[in-house]
Amino acid sequence: MKRRVNVIGVGMTRFAKPGASAEYYEMAREAGQIALRDAGIAYEEVQQAYVGYVYGDSTCGQRAVYELGLTGIPVVNVNNNCSTGSTALWLARQAVASGAAECVLALGFEKMERGALGSKFDDREPPLGPQVQLMNEVQGINSAPPAAQMFGGAGREYRYEHGTRKETFGKIAEKARRHASRNPYALFSQALSLDEIMASEEVFDPLTRFQCCPPTCGAGAAILCSDEFASKHGIAQPVYIAAQAMTTDFASSFSEKSMIKMVGYDMSKAAARQVYEAAGIGPEEVDVVELHDCFTANELLTYEALGLCAEGGAEAFIWDAQNTYGGKVVTNPSGGLLSKGHPLGATGLAQCTELVWQLRGCADARQVDGARIALQHNLGLGGACVVTLYRRD
Amino acid sequence: MSSELRYDGKVAIITGAGNGLGRQHALMFAARGARVVVNDLGGGIHGEGKSSAAADKVVEEIRAAGGEAVANYDSVEDGDRIVQTALDAFGTLDIVVNNAGILRDSSFHKMTQADWDLIVRVHLHGAFRVSHAAWPILRDKGYGRIIMTTSAAGIYGNFGQANYSAAKLALVGLANTLAQEGRAKNIHVNTIAPIAGSRLTETVLPPELIAALKPEYVSPLLGWLCHEDCKESGSLFEVGAGYIGKLRWERSKGRSLPLGRPFSAEDVARHWAQIGDFTDAEHPGNINESMAPLLANMNSKSLGGNEFIDLDQAMNSETVIDSQYDQRDVALYALGVGAAPDPLDDQELSYVYELKGDRFQVLPTYAVMPASNAMLALAKEGKQVLKGLNFGFERLLHGEQYTEIKQPLKGQDQLRHSFRLKAAYDKAPHAVVVIAVTSRNQAGEEVAYNETTMFVRGAGGWGGDRGPAGETLEPPAREPDAVIEERTDANQALLYRLSGDWNPLHADPAFAKAFGFDKPILHGLCTYGYVARHVIKAFLGNDARRFKSIRVRFADNVFPGQTLVTRMWRESATRVIVETRVKENDKIVIKNAAVEFYEQIPVAASAKPAAAQPPADAGPSAGELFGAIALHLQQHKGLGEQIKTVFQFRLKSPDSDWYLDLKSGDGAVQQGLAAQADVTLELADADFIAMATGKADPNKLYFGGKMKVSGNVMASQKLGFLQKLDPKLLQQTRGTRAAAAEAAPPADASGSATIFAAIGLHLQAHPGMGAQIKTVFQFQLKQPDSSWVIDLKSGDGRVFAGVAEQADVKLEMADEDFLAMASGKADPNKLYFGGKMKVSGNVMASQKLGFLQKLDPKLLQQARGTAAAAPRAPAAAASALSPAASRSAALLERLQQKLAQDSTALAALKGKLLRLNLREPEASWLLDCSGAQPSLKAQAPGQADAVFGIRDEDLYALLQRQAPVRSLYQQGRLRVDGDVRLAPQLALLAELL
Repeated sequence: MKRRVNVIGVGMTRFAKPGASAEYYEMAREAGQIALRDAGIAYEEVQQAYVGYVYGDSTCGQRAVYELGLTGIPVVNVNNNCSTGSTALWLARQAVASGAAECVLALGFEKMERGALGSKFDDREPPLGPQVQLMNEVQGINSAPPAAQMFGGAGREYRYEHGTRKETFGKIAEKARRHASRNPYALFSQALSLDEIMASEEVFDPLTRFQCCPPTCGAGAAILCSDEFASKHGIAQPVYIAAQAMTTDFASSFSEKSMIKMVGYDMSKAAARQVYEAAGIGPEEVDVVELHDCFTANELLTYEALGLCAEGGAEAFIWDAQNTYGGKVVTNPSGGLLSKGHPLGATGLAQCTELVWQLRGCADARQVDGARIALQHNLGLGGACVVTLYRRD
Repeated sequence: MSSELRYDGKVAIITGAGNGLGRQHALMFAARGARVVVNDLGGGIHGEGKSSAAADKVVEEIRAAGGEAVANYDSVEDGDRIVQTALDAFGTLDIVVNNAGILRDSSFHKMTQADWDLIVRVHLHGAFRVSHAAWPILRDKGYGRIIMTTSAAGIYGNFGQANYSAAKLALVGLANTLAQEGRAKNIHVNTIAPIAGSRLTETVLPPELIAALKPEYVSPLLGWLCHEDCKESGSLFEVGAGYIGKLRWERSKGRSLPLGRPFSAEDVARHWAQIGDFTDAEHPGNINESMAPLLANMNSKSLGGNEFIDLDQAMNSETVIDSQYDQRDVALYALGVGAAPDPLDDQELSYVYELKGDRFQVLPTYAVMPASNAMLALAKEGKQVLKGLNFGFERLLHGEQYTEIKQPLKGQDQLRHSFRLKAAYDKAPHAVVVIAVTSRNQAGEEVAYNETTMFVRGAGGWGGDRGPAGETLEPPAREPDAVIEERTDANQALLYRLSGDWNPLHADPAFAKAFGFDKPILHGLCTYGYVARHVIKAFLGNDARRFKSIRVRFADNVFPGQTLVTRMWRESATRVIVETRVKENDKIVIKNAAVEFYEQIPVAASAKPAAAQPPADAGPSAGELFGAIALHLQQHKGLGEQIKTVFQFRLKSPDSDWYLDLKSGDGAVQQGLAAQADVTLELADADFIAMATGKADPNKLYFGGKMKVSGNVMASQKLGFLQKLDPKLLQQTRGTRAAAAEAAPPADASGSATIFAAIGLHLQAHPGMGAQIKTVFQFQLKQPDSSWVIDLKSGDGRVFAGVAEQADVKLEMADEDFLAMASGKADPNKLYFGGKMKVSGNVMASQKLGFLQKLDPKLLQQARGTAAAAPRAPAAAASALSPAASRSAALLERLQQKLAQDSTALAALKGKLLRLNLREPEASWLLDCSGAQPSLKAQAPGQADAVFGIRDEDLYALLQRQAPVRSLYQQGRLRVDGDVRLAPQLALLAELL
């Protein structure tokens, strides 16, 4: 049996630079309490919790949730690289949809170190070995941050294929900063000009510093429930999940020797297709999107993977300002990972939070007028992609 | 946007509204709420007759549909009466659609004055009259929309419609100006070129086409253009059959010819292709934009010139050419200018006998050779040394030469010559150009400077500066201070030419005859060498090191076999005036000549510190290192079992292959190639040695592109043990080497106090660690006993000896174990679990000590206070590789030739400018396909559509088709700025080769 799943409470902390944040359980407590207040329920009504984080030893999830209460409920620790947060959300939705629970908490947090993402366990085969192997064959490896090499390499491939200008990538960062300037939760809320973005230090051609998301600390939370639970608590017209899908790598990620495929293009495309089919809603009906812009190159690729524009059409889509207010669809009104920050475990829940605010019409200065249908895309290398379609009737 | 575009309250005049397009416009405006004046004279399409029926019918139609309209039957030539009708009926006016029109088609040779006048009157005067009468009303109310109706026949021309075309295009001009005059009063004026099935087109189009060209497909454009929300003005549209497009002017980038010099029809003809080339075309939208290129050209004042010498180009042009020479070149040159005629003369032998060691010397005038040879090599290919010097070699006469030595020339060297135009003088009808050449060595130091003054026959006459009269150096009246007489050999020119001057005039009797000489003449620069040698012999005791400069004028020819008499007057301690004559005919051949000396021998900047360099230690070889690895495997049994990988090493310069078979058991080291390697590592021998002796980080070698890894990349991570090779093992394999020289300084000597000092430095280097870690650590060390505190409670933290007031966690261990832990040799967890470290207080806080393991060894050195006393000068092995010479230069030069031969090559790049910026060694080339003839030029300045950054070696591989463009780009070895779409076209260059 499948039941409709509602998102009745969301919350997030303001994102912070590594070294400047509170402890992980403190951030988790803050986000969790905001979400509970938002839903208007007590923690005691939560029947299960799915808690995502990437960096931390086992059972940090319990350590975090215990801050909200000690009620003996099942707590599951979730680790799925950059899509960790939405993976927790996916599990929570599954629990409610299947009838296993009436009200579930999805929580995500991350306390990150300065600098580029790296491996923590040097004494064993790294999980991204095959990806690194492929990258070595296609473009070699240098001392730039590995993720920048992967997504930047995908950008190169796209650029060569479509004759794309370097500034087109920069333009995405310019938009991200412009959007973030209206978001009090964003880490980088200062608008930057395209010139400033292009002039920043090159990380990996064609990506410059401002086109890479920063390591960030923060937490996000969402409370999901069934229709029965919502009506029992007098919650009218909640935002609900119209469809959701998770995909992992297909053979094409490795067999095609393509950086674009390696960084998960087909995962995103397949997840989006499943969601559109399940919901009976097409990309053209989507009003607002939070998508995984860990690097500008990936936002560009994701426009096409999600069907927001035709394949090969991203450059025109960007320069025609179809990706912002006044265009076809507003992408990353929050400023995205690029500006808001990317605490791996929290990102998926922060995206959810932003979209729920948008659908409730309470996103203040960054409100997308008349937003009714919202799309969320969260991607992790290794890999996993979660796409979620939200609605409010 | 989805709401209907309404015209409620608006009044529109539609002329010619009784039929076709006009009728449809009227119906459309009325349906949307406008009150409409339906004007129609009711005549035929050729302007005959008159009737009120057509207009009345449309008015009735409008009224029947509930709209408001009145009819007007006046000719558009009485435009004021039509406007009056609107005012009478509706009190105001907002919109004028000039639509009325007739045809009087006739081929031009049959066209009558009446045909012409009638068409111009109805279309042009009519539109003027109506619009002019409406204008004050629209201005007064600050609102108006005017439409002109033109035609494709007007825009493009159409057979048999000369009158109609002229009148129709005139309307576009009228609209463009009205748009500007009306802009401030919110009056918008646009023009449409409709094609619709109407009475006018029935005569020219087949009926089935007319059916598709319904007027209904045109009127909607007006429905938007005339609306108050539409901001469009001054625009032109083509519309019909459901299609709407906007037209604009396009102008080629064109060609600007420099002002201030003759400008002829020939110039226009020469640049015709560029004038008509629409690549990167512009779209001027108004008079100012139209004027922009003209104004830009007016501001660029020309330096002058003609077809032979373009001063604008030449003065901004620089050519850079590399060359190298060795002792053989130098000795051959010296023989060519008559050195060492007596093989037993020890002094002159020093110019030609390289085994003289330190006493081998380079004749200073050799400094002119690399540069002039480079020029001659270009001339041989029919190329000019500098862009903008467009005269042929046959016009040249070498007039004067100046050579200055900046530091004594080495027996062999690699030089980079940079050519510039110093001056060009107009000695109409001839010209004089002075080319300056600066030659630098690889350290970038200036070695020599040359000025070559050339007389160019018939290249003058551009009205430029005649130049200075020229310094004359008359020899003093007194007897010379020295005279040297020397006979040239009969085959002197044949010997001299082997140094690079291939000009047949000096070797080929027939050629020489053709130029009016009885036999081949001696090279002027050969005589030049004689003169310098004479001065050095007479005044410097044959030691050329103080020779500074020589300047001469070539006054006449010398034939091989003639005797040169050089007379020299010492003018000061550092200056000698010279004159050389041919003894046989007493002709002066070298005049206006002077040689200068340095007071002291100049010293090369690079030579100064180099003198103090101690001889480098020979260091271990790769073979010795592999021997040490074999010993290591013996001592660490079971490494194969553990690592399970076969490593293949392919070392270069010198080349050798080795493999480490760590697939099973204890492992083995072998020379040669493995049957099946898991991972292959390619690197320079020197880099391998640096890596295996801990001087180079394998990751850095890899990331820096110095080590290539193929196969299982991850497996290469397992090579860490190489860095832990015991130096003693190396000693053992090196056998005879003195143990003392190699012994690494004992790491243990540092002591825990040094480590804590290094931690202090680490905290300084990483501010804010206290705020981050928020813990106070107390260390209690034993054997010997000591107490230390690392206070990371707040701020940047600090380290001190003693006991903390309040420690969060206390760690007790042996001094020895602390040293092992802090130098990364012992794992803190293992010490703890193994009972060697006792932890009390907040146990978890001890986990935050990880940073200890990341202590920078440099900090440790610094803390020891012995940083200066590094055990050995770092082996320069890695950097000792000699800087690479350009491999791609020869290919690029071949490309230059190909392009010169085939102007149709690279047609796909037509109009584009591509720059290649090479590294290692650096060079810049411009592939210019903007003109009729594609060209490839070194060091040419200017903008490019795409800039490609690439290493010389990679470009070589690309041009040799060894590396595809796409891979180079993806790998970051080819960097593309600008239009990346041009990148794939680089493959064309390889194809051309």
